[in-house]
Amino acid sequence: MASQLKVDTLTGVTTAGSIVVTGEGNSTTTNLQQGLSKVWANLNGSSFGLRDNFNVTSATDNGTGDYTFTIATDMASGDYSLATNAGDNEVAILGCVFLDSASAPAAGSVRIRGTASNGSATDHTYVMIQITGDLA
Amino acid sequence: MASILRVNTLTDASSNNSTAMSTINQGTAKSWAYLNGQGTIALQDSFNNSSPTDHGTGEYTFNFTSNMGNAVYSSKFSGISQTNTGANGTTTSSIRVRVRDGSNSNYDSQQVMTGIHGDLA
Repeated sequence: MASQLKVDTLTGVTTAGSIVVTGEGNSTTTNLQQGLSKVWANLNGSSFGLRDNFNVTSATDNGTGDYTFTIATDMASGDYSLATNAGDNEVAILGCVFLDSASAPAAGSVRIRGTASNGSATDHTYVMIQITGDLA
Repeated sequence: MASILRVNTLTDASSNNSTAMSTINQGTAKSWAYLNGQGTIALQDSFNNSSPTDHGTGEYTFNFTSNMGNAVYSSKFSGISQTNTGANGTTTSSIRVRVRDGSNSNYDSQQVMTGIHGDLA
């Protein structure tokens, strides 16, 4: 029978921050909290502005292809996993976005660099980030 | 006491923001990792990863603790500036990653990050 649970907050019983979910194969389990994206953002780096985001306070334009995302609810540390992507409407421009080598990821922010395929700093039309890891 | 809740759909108390359990299953990352790939490689933090393997400069295998259901899962990568990070072989139990610098040479990056979405076994 189909069922629907109405709830505002889910909390683990044994450990508040740990809820187990049965996987697609109906046997293995995974951890709900660990699998959730804690931050995501879609930034227009060309006209500069966040199109949409989750758990981002603001984005800072540090210069061409150089952006800092400030996280609203901090991560536990800078030891999280970041995924990035970038692109432009112009097919000829292949976007690359990387962590800034001089700025290690921090609990409250992450700084990235956007370049063209030749390595030159570039303001891409679409700059996307996603973070998985431990919330504070 | 541990408990199991069997439910098809989650909503908030106002019946808004309905989310099917299948969406939660499919939408959650099944593995993620942050690896220091320089010197003696070391996981800084991770989920569903056992010890990674160092294959030489810029090549690492991330081994899953709980296997994926198939090898056609989605992977995403990131690394320190001026590096290109990509998959170099996927199986249900691991993914091999190669990191290259701006000159297209293999490179040991301080920050190698992975994320996996797909079906668990």
